[in-house]
Amino acid sequence: MAKRLVVDPITRIEGHLKIEVEIDKGKVVDAWSSGTMARGFEALLTGKDPRDAPYITSRFCGVCYSVHQLASSRALDAAFGANVPWGGNLIRNLVMGAEYIYDHVLHFYQLSALDYIDIMAVANYTGKDKELLAVKDKIVGLVKDKDTYPFTPRYEPDDFSVKDPEIVTTAVKHYIDALKMNAKARDMGAIWGGRTPHYQNIVVGGVTSYPDINQVFRFRTMLDAQKKFVEEVYIPDVLAFGTGPLWPLAEMGLGGGHYNYLSYGDFQLDPEGKKMVFPAGVITGLNPADIEVAPVDSEKITESVKYAWYKEEKPLHPYNGEQIFDLDKKGAYSFVKAPRYDGMPMEVGPLARMIISKNPDVLGLVKKGAKPGAVARHAARAVETKLVVDACYTWLDQLLSEMTKPGFKIQDAEHWDPPDSGMGASFSEPPRGALGHWVKVKDKKIENYQAIVPSTWNASPRDDKGARGQYEESLIGTPVPDPKNPNNIVRVIRSFDPCLACAVHIIDPDTNEIRKFIIE
Amino acid sequence: MSRTIPHPVPQSGGGEDLSPPKIVILGIGNLLLSDEGIGVHVAHELMKMDLPPGVSVVEGGTDGFRLLNVIAGADRLIVVDAVRSGAAPGSVYRFDVNDVRSVPSGFMTSVHQVGILEVIELSDLIGKRPRATVIGVEPKSLEMRMELSPEVKEKIPKIIELVLEEIGRQL
Repeated sequence: MAKRLVVDPITRIEGHLKIEVEIDKGKVVDAWSSGTMARGFEALLTGKDPRDAPYITSRFCGVCYSVHQLASSRALDAAFGANVPWGGNLIRNLVMGAEYIYDHVLHFYQLSALDYIDIMAVANYTGKDKELLAVKDKIVGLVKDKDTYPFTPRYEPDDFSVKDPEIVTTAVKHYIDALKMNAKARDMGAIWGGRTPHYQNIVVGGVTSYPDINQVFRFRTMLDAQKKFVEEVYIPDVLAFGTGPLWPLAEMGLGGGHYNYLSYGDFQLDPEGKKMVFPAGVITGLNPADIEVAPVDSEKITESVKYAWYKEEKPLHPYNGEQIFDLDKKGAYSFVKAPRYDGMPMEVGPLARMIISKNPDVLGLVKKGAKPGAVARHAARAVETKLVVDACYTWLDQLLSEMTKPGFKIQDAEHWDPPDSGMGASFSEPPRGALGHWVKVKDKKIENYQAIVPSTWNASPRDDKGARGQYEESLIGTPVPDPKNPNNIVRVIRSFDPCLACAVHIIDPDTNEIRKFIIE
Repeated sequence: MSRTIPHPVPQSGGGEDLSPPKIVILGIGNLLLSDEGIGVHVAHELMKMDLPPGVSVVEGGTDGFRLLNVIAGADRLIVVDAVRSGAAPGSVYRFDVNDVRSVPSGFMTSVHQVGILEVIELSDLIGKRPRATVIGVEPKSLEMRMELSPEVKEKIPKIIELVLEEIGRQL
C-alpha cells in the first residue's frame, strides 16, 4: 500500500519548502511541492515612485538581493525608455558575475555535498596529509563536544553515500576552503556595489558610480583566486563525484522531470548583444540525440493559481497578475503560483541553460550515458561557473578600454524621470534561473508590479490542467528504500538549489529559555 | 576632449575600504516585514551618528550565509535583531551568543534557516569567531509593511543606548 511521507523543510539555506510524496514499493509514485510561506511583496510597490522598485525588490530575498535590484532596474529601463550605456552594462555584468561565482560554489559545498558523503568517515582517515589530518582533528573534536553543526543533523548515509575516508576528508577540507572563498567573493560584488550585503549601485539607466582603475585591478586579483578554486577544486570535485561514486544516480536519471527547459538568455559579451554568455531558448520534451531549441516569446508566459492559495482566476499575464489570498480554497496546497510557458511546466536554472546552449561538456556527459537530472544539474552548475569566470575577464578588459574613451558613460541620465505612463518587463538569468519582472506605470507611479522568480518555475504546484510542477515531476520514480532516511528525495530537490524564502530571518530559538535575558 | 586612465594610487578611491574594522554592529532583518526589520532600522540610525574609530555599522538584511565575510572580519560583533520568545512585544533582550544554544535539535524542524547564530558558528570553521552579543527586541507584527509597530519603534533609543554601552566596554 502506498505510504505518505513529508519532508519539511527541505532547504539548507533560508527556505520554506515542504515536499510530500507517496511511496509505493520503495519508489515515489506521486509528489506535491508546497511553498509554505505567503509572499506577495509586490503589493507593497503599488503607488510608489517606480525608482523605489530596485530598492524595495532587493529586499524580496536576503540571498538574491542584487539579482532583484538588477531585474527591477532592467524592467524600469524598458518602461522609461532608458538606454543603458555599454559601460553601465559591463559593471552590471561584473556584479552578477561575482554573484554566480559565490552562489554556485556555495551551493555545491555548503548546501549539497553533505547529501552525498558520510561525514563520519573522516574519523577513519589514516593517511599522512597534514591538512587532512587537521580536518580530521577538527571534526573529531566537534563530535566529542557534541557540537557538529553544520554537518548534522543529517539522514543516515545510504548505498550511494561516499564512505571512503580519504575522499570524504578531502571533501570536508574543500567544504572549509569553499567557505573561505565565499567570504572573499562577497567582497568582489562590493567593489562595484559599494557595500555588502545590499549593493547600492544599480539604478534605472545603468549604475551610479564611475569605476576607477584600482577597482578593475582589485576585482581581477580576486577573480584570479576564484578562478583557481573553480578550475582546480570545484570542477574536478563535481566531475570526480559525478562520474565516480554518483555515476549510478546519473545513469538512473535521478530527478529528471518533464525535460522541458527555459532560458531567457542573458549577459551580453558585446555592446550589440550578438554574443551572449547564456543564449535564450525553449526546449520541450528534450531529445538528447536531436536537440531542438525554439525562440522565447514572453507573451506565452502565464501563471495559474488553481492549486495555490490565491483567489481563483483564469491564468493571467504577469502584467495583470495579482495576489489576493484565499486560504480556504479547496484543493490548494501552496503559496507558490504555477507559471507556465505555452501552457507547459518548465525547468529553469543551470541545467536548462547548459542544454539550451548545447554546452559540449554537459552534452558530453549525456552522451556517455548520464540522463539529465540531479547529477547533471550539479555538473551544469560547475561548468557554467567557469563560463562566467571567463566572461568576467572579457568584461574587465572591455571596461578598461571603455574607460579611456571620450564621453565614457555609465548611466542614461536623460531618462531618470518616470514617464507619465508606460510598461516594461525584464528577463534575466540569475544563478537559480529565469527571472522576470513586470512593471506598469500610471501617473508616474507604480500601478502594478509582478515578479516570477526562478524557484516559482521549478517549485510550482499543479496547474489548471493538473500537470505537476518540475520538482513534483522530477521526484516520480525516485527510489526511497528507507522512508526514515529519504536521501534521494533531498538530493533531487536540492540539486535545483531551491530558494523560496524571500523573507523572515528572525532569531527563533527552540525553547523560550531566552526570556531570561530580558533586560527591559 | 580626451580622457586618460587615472594613474593608480594604492590608497585612493576604488569604493570603500573592504576590510571591516574590529567592532562591527550588525543590524539584521527584513524591512518589508514590519518589526522583522528592527535591526535594519537601528543600523540606519547608527549610521547617522558619530561613532568611535574602529566601529563600523553593517546593515545585514536577511543575508544569513552571506554575512560570513562581515562576521569573520570582526573581533567583536554586536548583533541587533528581532528575537522571538513569546514575551511582551517590545521586550528587549541582551545575551552573549555563547549563552544560547543555536544548534538545531532535529532534521525535520531545523535545517531550513541558516540564521545569524549558525553563521557565527560557521565563522569558527574558517578560523575566526568574534565574541558576539545580541541585542534583540520581541516583535509585535511581522506583517507585510515597511513601518514598525509603536511598541517596537519606541524602543529604538533604548537599543541604541545599549549598543553604545557595549561599544564603550570595548574601548
